[in-house]
Amino acid sequence: MDIFIQQLVNGITLGGMYALIALGYTLVYGILLMINFAHAEMFMVGAYVGLFSLKFFSDPEWGAATLGLEGMQQFFTGSIFGLIIMFAIVFIFSGIVTGLLGMLIERVAYRPLRNAPRLAPLISAIGVSIFLQNAVLLWVDSRAIAFPNVFPVVNFGYGINSLKIFIVVTSIILLIGLDTLVSKTKMGKAMRATSQDRGAAQLMGININKVIAATFFIGPALGAVAGIFHGMYYGAVIFNMGFFPGIKAFTAAVLGGIGNLRGAMLGGFMLGIIESMTAGFISTGYKDVVAFAILIIVLIFRPGGLLGESVVEKV
Amino acid sequence: MKLKTGATLFATAMLAFVLAFALVGCGGDANDSAADGVTTYTIGVASPFTQGSVAQGQDIKRGAQLAIETFNDSDEARDAGIQFRMVEGDDMGDPKTAVTVANTLVSDSNLIGVVGHYNSGASIPASKVYSDAGVVMVSPGSTNPDLTRQGLPGVFRTCATDDLQGPAGAQYALDMGYTTAVVIDDSTPYGEGLATFFAEAFEELGGEVLMTEKTKDVDTDFNALATRISAENPDIVFYGGMYNAGALFSKQLTDAGVAAPVMGGDGIQEQDWIDLAGDAAEGDYATNVGAPIDSLPSARVFVEDYEDRFGEPAGTFSAFSYDAAMAIMKAAVEASAEVSSLTSPAGREALLDALENIRFDGVTGEISFDENGDTNNKIISLYRVEDGEWVFVDPASIQ
Repeated sequence: MDIFIQQLVNGITLGGMYALIALGYTLVYGILLMINFAHAEMFMVGAYVGLFSLKFFSDPEWGAATLGLEGMQQFFTGSIFGLIIMFAIVFIFSGIVTGLLGMLIERVAYRPLRNAPRLAPLISAIGVSIFLQNAVLLWVDSRAIAFPNVFPVVNFGYGINSLKIFIVVTSIILLIGLDTLVSKTKMGKAMRATSQDRGAAQLMGININKVIAATFFIGPALGAVAGIFHGMYYGAVIFNMGFFPGIKAFTAAVLGGIGNLRGAMLGGFMLGIIESMTAGFISTGYKDVVAFAILIIVLIFRPGGLLGESVVEKV
Repeated sequence: MKLKTGATLFATAMLAFVLAFALVGCGGDANDSAADGVTTYTIGVASPFTQGSVAQGQDIKRGAQLAIETFNDSDEARDAGIQFRMVEGDDMGDPKTAVTVANTLVSDSNLIGVVGHYNSGASIPASKVYSDAGVVMVSPGSTNPDLTRQGLPGVFRTCATDDLQGPAGAQYALDMGYTTAVVIDDSTPYGEGLATFFAEAFEELGGEVLMTEKTKDVDTDFNALATRISAENPDIVFYGGMYNAGALFSKQLTDAGVAAPVMGGDGIQEQDWIDLAGDAAEGDYATNVGAPIDSLPSARVFVEDYEDRFGEPAGTFSAFSYDAAMAIMKAAVEASAEVSSLTSPAGREALLDALENIRFDGVTGEISFDENGDTNNKIISLYRVEDGEWVFVDPASIQ
């Protein structure tokens, strides 16, 4: 039982990260009917921005300290209050930078192709993904970089520690926040309208370029948060770190029903828990086999995913 | 409109042609300049430079580079009228890319030998390409025994093999009093081979293997596995694999409350292991092929030169790579005394023959090869992480 709870905790933590990334895929798919393969790289870029800003604030041999701002650094790393402010700044900064990059990519690589056949933006997305990976590889580092270990980790037994709680709680808050944004606010209404019928939404006076840009800001920003979690949790970032989590999160989005926000969250947590349970009780080598077998079974019986609506093909 | 597209296509094609010829032209300049009596041969250095085990890849490249620069300046090379030029091939630690790199390297008709590859999974498929082309290959770091046992002529290595390294690790572990082990590998030919040799020897020598499990070399999440290992409560966890994934594994083991140290092979004895795993690396063990270079009198000059040249201390594989390049160049000088050109079929034959029988004092000890092409220098040493550094463990201290 003890081990079971520990594995559940591992699974939920992993699932929280998957869910955050999956939201980016599902948001874009819901509105543009396009799979944004560059999203995995948003996760990676977010982790790098987080890494360098965190280093800037906390590493005594790097950044702020060398600019004569030791006092600021001591404030940030000295007390719990300082740490909270520092992490808030790091997450928000990374989210904004990555979000802006997402908007830039949309403007440059997807908007010109908005009315092209659906395969064109897909290929463009793969191109952006390769470009970003190689840009980081060449301009930053090809080696893995250790993530600053400044988050105080306190163990509470059953494999639960302060970092896992932080990841899960923040993920859930962001998921609820996004759900509220989409279902309750005016922007959310515009997003839903655009996803139902882009043309009609435009005729009703919705600026769809703005809506799409907002989507491409929110998705990557959430991906960036997941990227920083990934760095903090595993202790390292590397230029190709987005690939596997990206594929897993995409799977989670499909499992839950792509285009459906709550589906992506459900899919993310499910996938994380299934993986941990399989690795924990059957074998590490089978974790992907079981995860994808479940995906296939779900898609056979519910082609739209767990929470997705089965759309009747329009003739 | 149609005409315009056609014209553009035509122009692009013409441009491509011109560029292709320009490139071929550039390649031509570097060919042997026999006019002034000096022949230049190419030596390929193939290792992971941008992806995978780039730490070792860089060590290998620098080791070979230093060897070539040193040898080109020596009287030995001047008297023979031979110079060497280094060409790099980035195999990214990937078997498919390694074959592509091998084919690209052998397409240079001046290529006589290759220092590489690093990962056994890359070396094994690439070795066939070199052997077919009559190019000798000396791997500075592939430790999987299968590499030299494929019956391919011209495949050598300067490092010891995993069928020695695994059992040596098992012996060290038992000597230190660790009697139960969990054995994990990364599903690569290197990791799997090393872990199997360790597990077999560990049981044979009286230890108990509680659990064996496979992971992947690209995995980052080992939490579920770590939790499982914590329930087994082993004395030591053996990891057959490389530092990138292994360091994360070591960190997650500690997070899951596993107090047992991790032991691995040459693939984890890198500073990056400590940087990535942080405090969790403390107390971890690694075996490595060859004696520690700092302690070798034969390596003193090399260690100094290396640090002067590159500003960083030499790694284990820099020394093996230096010796691998030296072996090829010394054999080339010997062979060129008999034949006029080493790139002719007779020349390649002579080079292979010279390399098989080579014997010289290298940086890592006396360099010579057995009938398989493996080095006769079969020392395995043990290292331990102490205060954030890999420290050599004297075998006498653990008996």
